[in-house]
Amino acid sequence: MTFHKRLMTGAVVALIASTGVALAEDKVLQFVECGDTPSPVHVDLAKEWEAKNPGFKVSMEVVPWGQCQDKVTQLAVAGNPVALAYVGSRTLKQFASNDLIVEMPMTAEQKASYYPYVPETVTFKGTQWGRPVAFSTKAFYWNKDLFKAAGLDPENPPKTFAEEIAAAKAIKEKTGIAGFGVVAKTFDNTMHQFLHWVYSNNGQVIDADGNIVLDSKENLEALTALKDISAYAEEGATSYEQNEVRQIFLDGKLGMIQASYGAAGLLTKANKFAWGVAPLPLGPSAKGPGTLLITDSLAVFKGTGVEEQAKDLAEYMTNPENQVKYEAGTGLTPLRPGKAVDDMLAADANFKPFIDGISYGGPEPLLTDYVGLQNVMIELVQSVVTGKAAPADALKKAAGELEQYK
Amino acid sequence: MLSDRTGRLFALGLVAPALLVILGVVAYPLVDSINLSFTNAALKKTYDFVGLANYEKIFSGNFASVIVRTFVWTFFSVALKMLIGTAGAVLLNAAVPGRALFRILTMPPWIMPIAIGIFMWGWMYNGQFGMISGLLQNAGITQGPLALLSRGETAFWATIVTDVWVGVPMVTIYFLAAIQAIPRDLYEAAWVDGANRGMRFRRITFPLMVPSALTMSMLSLIFTFNSFDIIWILTQGGPSGDTTTMIIDTYRTAIGSYKYGEGAARAVLICFFLSLFSLAYFRVVSRLNRGERL
Repeated sequence: MTFHKRLMTGAVVALIASTGVALAEDKVLQFVECGDTPSPVHVDLAKEWEAKNPGFKVSMEVVPWGQCQDKVTQLAVAGNPVALAYVGSRTLKQFASNDLIVEMPMTAEQKASYYPYVPETVTFKGTQWGRPVAFSTKAFYWNKDLFKAAGLDPENPPKTFAEEIAAAKAIKEKTGIAGFGVVAKTFDNTMHQFLHWVYSNNGQVIDADGNIVLDSKENLEALTALKDISAYAEEGATSYEQNEVRQIFLDGKLGMIQASYGAAGLLTKANKFAWGVAPLPLGPSAKGPGTLLITDSLAVFKGTGVEEQAKDLAEYMTNPENQVKYEAGTGLTPLRPGKAVDDMLAADANFKPFIDGISYGGPEPLLTDYVGLQNVMIELVQSVVTGKAAPADALKKAAGELEQYK
Repeated sequence: MLSDRTGRLFALGLVAPALLVILGVVAYPLVDSINLSFTNAALKKTYDFVGLANYEKIFSGNFASVIVRTFVWTFFSVALKMLIGTAGAVLLNAAVPGRALFRILTMPPWIMPIAIGIFMWGWMYNGQFGMISGLLQNAGITQGPLALLSRGETAFWATIVTDVWVGVPMVTIYFLAAIQAIPRDLYEAAWVDGANRGMRFRRITFPLMVPSALTMSMLSLIFTFNSFDIIWILTQGGPSGDTTTMIIDTYRTAIGSYKYGEGAARAVLICFFLSLFSLAYFRVVSRLNRGERL
């Protein structure tokens, strides 16, 4: 064999060998999780799933919340989608409308396992487009020391919008400290905080038939209440997002806030003043305790070649048994009723208001452009809080602008 | 010796790599953006040609007020940079003890990573925890916390102040170099003729700084018109859009709302304005180079 023949034979053998190695390589499922660090529970679950699915490997990447949604969207649009991503459920309609994600229909049994309205947060065109993985509800916190100083009964929190506004006024006038924490920064949770007012007064943004119903009597009452209470809120509400307002409350410089269960832990740890937590006060049109039901979901993107495996991984991570493990590690409101919730209620009475609000709660509105929705809602709140617009006019304008995103 | 043809080929070979890079990173994206601005490109994988619809949409919305705001914001920011930069350069040129230290102290806003500086300003503007609000309250000027980024008018000026803070060092150092290039004998002659400090500034320093000032103001105009990070980090264009400039609006449309076609149309408009500024800049520079009066 000549030198050239040997060289050629060697090259062919090397090529075949390397192809063999490539064929034997695991298929990778890219999973983007939003946050600062990967959830240890999800890391363990991914390893368990890999063990059950030889030939597939899960590659987890953590992206900070600020960039997470944009990153997975841009990758999908650029034709290089990730297999599975942790996204806000409000994005699903936009992704689905643009043919970027795959359907993930739930069985009747699966739907029934969740709290009411949770499946609706991922439902569009009669089917589901993701698996809920995180759930957040809000309740009402008050500073009992400030209530006492303002001459209010510290053991009797406000139960209606009117009582809440009166309490905020009393705190502001008697103590000089802001009575209520209004969230109005150019930030997504400005919309969320306003929707708590909406759902505490039987309001809606979009009805079951897909009509924009923002300009309603219920929402006008909610927005008027928010405007009225802004007079007794922290100075410069448009500078603060939810966590910043919570921090001011933790410092004892606010009388009342709407916050998630996580605030209870922070208040206990800080131990600066006496506090209480109750269901959100109700508006004049309310039928019962309500709150915005925010869910995040696992969505499977199209065009990866591993869609079925990604769906299976999402199902595995969010099945009742594994979801409970994840929720226990994060302090989130459980997605499903059951023993875990009963245990939490038995262990901490402060948890009850976060469950009570679910009965008349509502989902984040699913529209075709969630950023557009967000911008309209932020502008609505800011224009009213800063006194630039009257609530009725602002609602009418916002409702008109939302028509394009139905 | 090379023939004409070989010489031309050789020259072309030398500039070809740079030309290819410019075509790849400047010309292609620019042409592609212009092309995109005539389409309805969004999240969908396919898109259609929509003619001038995106441009019509721009002017039927509130973009006209955004354009006006951008010009006002840019004007005040550039004007303040020029004024403070001139004053700073004159002071740094004065024969005072510790002059070298003062010159060094002008640099941190420029040397510091811009995002860190902006976050620092964000905290200073904070009503509850910020230094400015605290100082005003302690001095009895305000009764309670003052959140400067919470109201449109104050937020607008707060973003300008931060932009000026970032931009002044460069202007100051540039003007200082211009002042130091002025021949000393002009000052000596003026001094012998009895000219005081004010007269020397008006009759010598200022006229001889004008060419540098024009160049710097043109460059500053281009940088400031396109300034994104300061407003985005401080206010994201809020509250109620009162600090939304053209570049912020473009980002929110194209990247925030994934309306690539509409965003591209806005970007083309920005490009148009910047081209006008650049044209003015090159005309000024070429006239100065030819020694003509402006």
